[in-house]
Amino acid sequence: MSGEPLRHEEALVDYAERALEHLAGEGQVTLVHERSLTSRFARSRPTQATEVDDLSVHLLCVRDGQTGSAVINSLDDGQLAAAAGRALAAAQAGAGAGPGDYPGLADPAPPPEYGGHDPRTARLDPAEAGAALEAAFEEAARSGLEAFGIWSAGEVTTAIASTTGVHVEQAVTDAYLKVICRDAGGRSGFASDAAVASAALDARGVARRAAAKVSSQDAVALAPGEYTVVLAPEAVGTLLEFLAGLAFNGLAHVEGRGALAGRLGTQVAHPEINLADAPRHPHTLPRSFDAEGVPKRPLPLIQDGVAYRVAHDRRSAARAGGGTASTGHALAPGGDLGGPRPTNLVLAGGGCSGERELMEGIERGLYVTRLWYVNVVQDGQTLLTGVTRDGTFLIEDGELTRPVRGQRFTDSVLGLLRRTEALTAGVRLVCEGDFYGRRFATGVLCPALRAHGFRITGTAPDG
Amino acid sequence: MTSLGSEELRDRAPVADGADPPTALLRDVVGRASQRCRYAEARWVDRRAEELGVVNGHPRELAQESSRGVGIRVLAGSGWGLSATADVSPAGLGRALDRALAIAGTQPAGPELSLPPVRPAIGQWSSPCREDPSTISLETKLALLVEADAALRTDRRVVRSEAECLSVVTRRALVTSDGTCCGQTVTECGAGIRAFAVEDGDVQVRSYPGAHGAGVAAAGWEHVRALDLPGQAPRVGEEAVALLSAPACPSGRKAVILHDEQLALQIHESIGHALELDRILLGEASYAGTSWVEAGDIGGLRYGSDLLEVTADATLAGGLGTFAWDDEGVPAARRTLIAGGVLEGALSDRTSAAALGLQASGGCARADGFARQPIVRMTNVSLEPGEAGTLEDLIADTSDGLYLEGNRSWSIDDRRLHFQFGTEMAREIKRGRLGRLYRNASYAGVTPTFWGSLDAVCSAKAWRLWGVLNCGKGEPGQIMHVSHGAAPARFRDTEVGVA
Repeated sequence: MSGEPLRHEEALVDYAERALEHLAGEGQVTLVHERSLTSRFARSRPTQATEVDDLSVHLLCVRDGQTGSAVINSLDDGQLAAAAGRALAAAQAGAGAGPGDYPGLADPAPPPEYGGHDPRTARLDPAEAGAALEAAFEEAARSGLEAFGIWSAGEVTTAIASTTGVHVEQAVTDAYLKVICRDAGGRSGFASDAAVASAALDARGVARRAAAKVSSQDAVALAPGEYTVVLAPEAVGTLLEFLAGLAFNGLAHVEGRGALAGRLGTQVAHPEINLADAPRHPHTLPRSFDAEGVPKRPLPLIQDGVAYRVAHDRRSAARAGGGTASTGHALAPGGDLGGPRPTNLVLAGGGCSGERELMEGIERGLYVTRLWYVNVVQDGQTLLTGVTRDGTFLIEDGELTRPVRGQRFTDSVLGLLRRTEALTAGVRLVCEGDFYGRRFATGVLCPALRAHGFRITGTAPDG
Repeated sequence: MTSLGSEELRDRAPVADGADPPTALLRDVVGRASQRCRYAEARWVDRRAEELGVVNGHPRELAQESSRGVGIRVLAGSGWGLSATADVSPAGLGRALDRALAIAGTQPAGPELSLPPVRPAIGQWSSPCREDPSTISLETKLALLVEADAALRTDRRVVRSEAECLSVVTRRALVTSDGTCCGQTVTECGAGIRAFAVEDGDVQVRSYPGAHGAGVAAAGWEHVRALDLPGQAPRVGEEAVALLSAPACPSGRKAVILHDEQLALQIHESIGHALELDRILLGEASYAGTSWVEAGDIGGLRYGSDLLEVTADATLAGGLGTFAWDDEGVPAARRTLIAGGVLEGALSDRTSAAALGLQASGGCARADGFARQPIVRMTNVSLEPGEAGTLEDLIADTSDGLYLEGNRSWSIDDRRLHFQFGTEMAREIKRGRLGRLYRNASYAGVTPTFWGSLDAVCSAKAWRLWGVLNCGKGEPGQIMHVSHGAAPARFRDTEVGVA
């Protein structure tokens, strides 16, 4: 296999099976093949375009409950053998320090068929990217604005083979487009689309939506305090991504660090909040199995405002005891050091027809398009801080009136979900689209929501 | 071999498994590309990383990761295209070149870019490394971590203890159509420990030597030995537990003294990123954001008090932003960014320098591996030492304030103007002495106001270099390792207790 590109007629999982032959004893091989294309633009000009065709071969050895791993990006037999030796040496070194807490590899189970692949997207046609950029530039120009953003598409195939008989493979595609429209004064608006298929990205529509959030008025600043807020889906999605790690991480939960430790079965959010991990939802980015080859099934997390479940990989499930099983949320072979987390969050919509209806009755409040540089202040309280960006507006008497400067908020996600008053019926898939490391596209399917008591703690002096 | 600084540098023996740079192949593909585009480069990167961790007494994350490949970047007309492949064969590189040209060719047309000239980089360079981490056995490394991890668990309320070490060896080769043909090897090594304590739903954490890879340097295993993790661990565990019963940090405005590790992140977020020229020119508006600084501000803007002296130094021994040439072949240099509180320069690459009409790049083009393109990154952006003596001297000189140590949270707006940081711990300062311990400490400010309130910086003997391993930027995302030098410093009238 040295130096040769992957042959498309051969299943990736068969390469994984052959790589498995290099591992002595209990082990797992995980192959991830990424092909992706990302075109960036700024000031309505293309700036960078990156195409990636790369492979990760992860070899995991298990010895006496200890795991050792080696990752290479080659299918060369010599390199595979060397990597297998390194993985074994690491596992043995761990075992030398005493028995570990890894419960062993998963038993084979047929993964469900969730789809999630579009052959046209997998072609990664640079002309499609170029056309999308042209369309976004034209639409921005109609409003006298400049466009900034990315068009990105990828095909990622994951295959797992293990000595316990796991033999699974899934190819998924994803596509993402975001446009920030900006005027000469620095006022900006944001919009994005995400989908399994690049054909679903509406470049003109996204640019139009972004342009509509650029106001010609001067922005005002809000005094620190609590405000009724309408959060657009992008802002809701960002908060829920953080909640996934703070509240639904089974390892943090069993260690007592999780935000729901001791709170499962209690009311933690407004009764209209129904949050689940839904890997087969047709409008999310479906995934059939996790990094341990465990099938992914829908997992209710908060039902009618009551904390219901947390996510587990095999290690955290073993720590939890009492017959707890993995829920299919391992992020890395052998489980991620930081623990498992949901990656297909779906927040069910509510009864409002749209964002306009959410704003009805708000005498003075805030509309937030998206949040930026959000970070955890206190884990157990799900307390976050961050700033609003690219489309923040004052709501007065139920109408958007004036743009607002980027505002700093410091608030609890669970607190906001408790203070939620209404949700839109429509939901949208929102992604971060930043793709650090090996591409692993995730998104949150969610509505816009209205909540009271959103805590603003600061603002920049201008802009 | 090019030499940087006074420290003697040694070259490395070739790697035995065929990992030597395929220089002839790179030359060949760049030669072929030159006939089809205005500029071309082929960048080969071989990266080997080892991460070991011990959690709650159990070895975890015993992982070794290596990758190798080539990124081919071309400038055709006004469009850039980069294609990255792990198939380092003549056919593989040929395919990648074709794709890079196709990508560049399908970009919407824009104004042509003229890159500033660069003197061809020729040679080899390696970072200093006295004790090669690959010669230390896994058992020895694990024994150190197991000992440190156990020493963290001083109390049943420490629910999670972590000890980890890291080593990374990155080899790069760059060939460009400008005549550059150079190779570099950088060894990075470091370690750290962390304790989480929990009581009544409250989570407190203490780290050593700090967060975000603060204990990593461009060095060998000697750097890990010097950290003395087992010796520090009991204090770290005890401090995490003590925070559980400490009162919350009071709100108000006070003088604050920042420990140099927290100050390193403050420099990173509110100076380093703000002075990236691509951000200033709106090139990063879609993701990382812009800057409150405008291009015309360079040479006149007051950024902070007279005590604010900031450099970007890619020649600093031990720095994670140290190299001989950047990823566009521009030689490393030490440059002044802020002198006497006035903005003097910015961080640039060839593209941003061209956009501003500069005569030369600032040598800050760096790429995360072979599958990402070089963009403007920090090197080692540091606050130069002052004359306030030691940390103890500075505390003794403060009548009423807070001492803040250990970064716990960080956030700054997309113009790098309004920031809020949380620290693991705070100590009251009263009449020149440290007083009670506070938990959940935080402070906030606005960049030029905050740096304008800088009224004391400790002296050179208190100045240290801190690593940051999680600097994210670019699309697709790129993680960069950088370092920041700092000594403890004092800021007057700072908003504290904001979270």
